[in-house]
Amino acid sequence: MALKSVESESPRLVGSPDASERELLERIARSKDQAAFRTLYGSYYQRLSRLLARMSVRREDIEEVINDTFWVVWTKAGEFRGASQLSTWIIGIAYRRALNALRRAKIRPVSDEPFDEDSISVMSTDAAETDGQWLALGLTRLPVEQRMALELTYTLGHSCEEVAAILDCPVNTVKTRLFRARETLKQVLPALAGMSGEKS
Amino acid sequence: MSARIPDTHAEAWALLPWLANGRLPASDREWVEAHVAQCAECRGELDAQRKVAMQINRDTSADAAGTPGSTGTDEQRSFNKLWARIEASESAAPAMSGASGGFSSRTRTVRWLAAAVVVQGFGLALFGFNALRTNPPAGEIVTVADVPAHRLNAPAVRVVFAPEASMAAINTLLTHQGLSIVSGPGTSGNFTAELSADAVASGASADSVAAVISKDPNVTFAQPVAR
Repeated sequence: MALKSVESESPRLVGSPDASERELLERIARSKDQAAFRTLYGSYYQRLSRLLARMSVRREDIEEVINDTFWVVWTKAGEFRGASQLSTWIIGIAYRRALNALRRAKIRPVSDEPFDEDSISVMSTDAAETDGQWLALGLTRLPVEQRMALELTYTLGHSCEEVAAILDCPVNTVKTRLFRARETLKQVLPALAGMSGEKS
Repeated sequence: MSARIPDTHAEAWALLPWLANGRLPASDREWVEAHVAQCAECRGELDAQRKVAMQINRDTSADAAGTPGSTGTDEQRSFNKLWARIEASESAAPAMSGASGGFSSRTRTVRWLAAAVVVQGFGLALFGFNALRTNPPAGEIVTVADVPAHRLNAPAVRVVFAPEASMAAINTLLTHQGLSIVSGPGTSGNFTAELSADAVASGASADSVAAVISKDPNVTFAQPVAR
């Protein structure tokens, strides 16, 4: 039988993301629905790619971590009980897989060489571009746990409780990690230092 | 949720990232916003965090071009790899999948059997055992008898696989499109694959299948066979 859905490029979900995704997961758990699996995979591929890149996972290893994650989704779909958001479950799997792999040195982290401050274009007339370069510098100064807390909050828009579930740590630890990340960024980013330096 | 109103600077300060991203629960948002309204330092920090959020998202968009997920082709290729892995794993242990019973497990078993037939047929063609298919020694090789029968005037495509394409990937591609290899390899490495009756019944044609598989990274050439 020709499964045309498998060939569709980057199918995207519409409507309530979590409800739509849970429906897909139920189809996978109930009938090993390949089309549902492909759609769910497509809705996470870019999100996870960017998150893993931020974790210093090398580009050539990112696909392996994503596929390991979705291997778990395929085999354990029926075990998801809905205690958390589906995105929390899937991103949490990817995070732990990447972290374990990095720790075991199975995959090589991107070099943590010091950021070359001279590479920031002081001649650039685009303030946003310059700020972006400073931010890139700042992010390289953060430990991976702090970087992830920041990414999950600002890029993926998770609540504090969801970040804690993904990173598998207490809520107060998430707050502490973000507090420290903010302090570090402030030391690196001139624009930020100016903004919050004013005392009431 | 209790109506706790701490209204302390330190606690409000810690929660500012989630006020910035709009994910602070209503029970906290109320008192944090009230604190921010009368605290210049927290207002400055909130502005700063909004700026960080904006920059990270801007940076993320720019990074998109450098990540594996930047194109649908990368994503499809990656999914094909995963699917080949899943199929290889499940076909290696078909008996286990039957343990739960039910309709889905039966249909899956049929699918794995069909996939196995395709692999066997393709393997025979690949290694030049076409003679066995046309004139099999009775009862000697069971797999030969299981190769799908050549149907008269069945829609077919001519296909050349990429040199780096794995057997698992080719198997996945053929199975998904309802194709069975019936001849090849030709002098230029081409195979002829026929569409199954099921694929035709579901609306697939030689033209449509050739168009789809020609975009697959495991295929370098595909065209419908005129019959």
